[in-house]
Amino acid sequence: MWSRLFGKQAWEEAIFLLSAAPLGTLWFSILVTAWSLGLGLLVTPLVIPIALGMPFLITASAGLEAALARRLIGTRVYPPHAAFLRGGFWRRAFGWLTEPAMWRAQAYLLLRFVLGFPFAIGMGTLLGLSIGGLAAPFYYWSLNGGIKMDAWHVDTLPEALLLTLAGAAGLVITMLLFRLLARPQRALAEELLERSPDPADKTPRPSIPQRRQALVARAASFGFAFTVLVAIWALTGHGYFWPVWPLLALLLALGLQAWRLFADENSEHWQHPGLNHSIAVQAGSSAMVFLFLVGVWAASGGGTFWPVWPLLGLTITVLARAGTLYFSPPGQEELTQRIDVLTTTRAGAVDQQEAELRRIERDLHDGAQARLVALGMSIGMAEQKLSEDPEGARELLEEARAGAGQALRELRDLARGIHPPVLADRGLEAAVTALADGSPLRVHVHTEIPQRPSAPVESAAYFVVAETLANAGKHSKAARVDIRIIRDGDMLTVEVADDGKGGADTTGSGLAGLRRRVEALDGTLRVASPAGGPTLVRAEMPCG
Amino acid sequence: MRVVIAEDLALLRDGLQRLLRDNGFEVLAAVRDADSLLREIDAHKPDIAVVDIRLPPDFRDEGLRAAIEARKRSPDTAILVVSQYVEQAYARELLADGRGGVGYLLKDRILHVVEFVEAVRRVAEGGTALDPEVVAHLFSSQSAGGPLERLTPREQEVLSLMAEGRSNQGIADALVLTVGAVEKHIASIFSKLDLPQSGVDHRRVLAVLAYLQAPS
Repeated sequence: MWSRLFGKQAWEEAIFLLSAAPLGTLWFSILVTAWSLGLGLLVTPLVIPIALGMPFLITASAGLEAALARRLIGTRVYPPHAAFLRGGFWRRAFGWLTEPAMWRAQAYLLLRFVLGFPFAIGMGTLLGLSIGGLAAPFYYWSLNGGIKMDAWHVDTLPEALLLTLAGAAGLVITMLLFRLLARPQRALAEELLERSPDPADKTPRPSIPQRRQALVARAASFGFAFTVLVAIWALTGHGYFWPVWPLLALLLALGLQAWRLFADENSEHWQHPGLNHSIAVQAGSSAMVFLFLVGVWAASGGGTFWPVWPLLGLTITVLARAGTLYFSPPGQEELTQRIDVLTTTRAGAVDQQEAELRRIERDLHDGAQARLVALGMSIGMAEQKLSEDPEGARELLEEARAGAGQALRELRDLARGIHPPVLADRGLEAAVTALADGSPLRVHVHTEIPQRPSAPVESAAYFVVAETLANAGKHSKAARVDIRIIRDGDMLTVEVADDGKGGADTTGSGLAGLRRRVEALDGTLRVASPAGGPTLVRAEMPCG
Repeated sequence: MRVVIAEDLALLRDGLQRLLRDNGFEVLAAVRDADSLLREIDAHKPDIAVVDIRLPPDFRDEGLRAAIEARKRSPDTAILVVSQYVEQAYARELLADGRGGVGYLLKDRILHVVEFVEAVRRVAEGGTALDPEVVAHLFSSQSAGGPLERLTPREQEVLSLMAEGRSNQGIADALVLTVGAVEKHIASIFSKLDLPQSGVDHRRVLAVLAYLQAPS
């Protein structure tokens, strides 16, 4: 419990939430300035440099935010892919306007201000007050008249200790809130920024009954916490009803969770044009946030009704998404993304094939072809010498035979590098076992391949093992290598793990070639090789 | 000595035929696929069949399968498999029945005509011929610190030549030793590896191969 509330992760989440105040303000001013400048200068040529600069600005800002989110709240999000930064002039200047990812990124940056800023200020205040209360015994005596809490003046040690108790309770609640608020922030980042295609990351969601139980338990614990706070308030001489602040925050956390559960429970309600499940979740959550802000407004004594501004922002975001959904055929965006991926991976595959063919041509030219020329020359000279110098002719023929043997060896190695015969004849298990046998390292092979995958997948899997095994032998100083090849349904997973010193160059030509080869088959290749080891290479390829 | 050849490439088929004829073999048939090979073996019961691994129609390991099948159908016919590449797994399959009269060589070895012809004779007489690459592989897959490291370098040389299937005389020639010296080395190897002594050359070779192939 202690480490969950005060551990490294909790503080990182707190820092992320608080960072919304400075960063959100920064993004807001940047975006507002850039857009008003751009729109103001729309009819003048000056719009061009602004239009060219905007995508860089947006990807850079979103990149920083994504890096923060990855580092601090542990989501795998990335800024929009900068594909539109390539291409012709007009595409560079205005192509990004048609890119949904760019609009989502801007929405995220704006929301970091619109939503993040009030939360950061509120939570920052709560944190400051709690720490102030906690430390009361150390400074109450230094202030003239003690610490003033409305009607209550803390100027004796027992009173200060009571304040410490309240501060401790406040700190626990603050940290609990930081932890609870991390989840919607994570969801927001994942919704609006680009998510990495990482199937291994998915943790199964708890079932609906489990979530209902969790909600009830949480409501009970919140009720208890709130009662404790009210008791402290009552004990410390009434005055300003400060427990209203944690109450608002607790209600918001509870409300968001409850709405999410309701939306998931009644998923059939959201099948209308312009509405789907995720928009329903977003609209309900926006309403909760608005109610929360109204509560904040009321608790802070009314005045100008400022929550209208965040309401405007939230409504526009929901309407924009609903409008996009209504007007664009379903799946359009996924299709576009898919085409982008295919274009990239196909280009990679073609490059890879091109490089491979060049290597083969070079090997043939410098190796076997040259040897055959030398062979022909030796035999020709031997022919000349045959009658007058039979001994010399014999030596030349001996040379010719050695050359022929060498040429055969080189051709055999070349053929093996293109497609090892044993792979075609006996399949992956036999071929990988042969690799393992030939390796100087201690190699353990585990395979579960109930059905042979298609030849390209088999061959890619084989070369993943061959290349990484060779790397392990050459660079990593590994003693033991574990190879696991498992076919689960339509997915073939190849894992090569060594206990070496790690630090593999993941951009080197070998691994990059492998990656292109695997991606061309719609698979993924990931390499984890921290300095100091161990190294793990995992390829996953569909093989249905 | 009576031979049947199975090789799909005409150039090599004719070359092998001429080479074996020139060295005193009687070539009964030279065929280009596995089915014809089995037919010719059934018809002629030759002393030995020289078989390429890759044969039509799929150019995979048809030759090897045919060779294993032939050994079952005609136990007196020795088989020498030749190929452009060697695979441990294939060597293991060929040697699996623990009998002699079997060989597995790279086509490269045909370049050394004298040694190749010697190997064909040896296999036909019930011996073995295992390619040096296969043997080197068997040695390298032995675990470090195993009993092989107790052998002197000269004994290791003798052992690998034995694994190739060479006779004592052949080993003596290759290493420029006397047959007596070779026999002494062999006795020492067998006692260090804890293998049962056996008078017959072929049996000894099979014992050595079984030892090297055992999972370590």
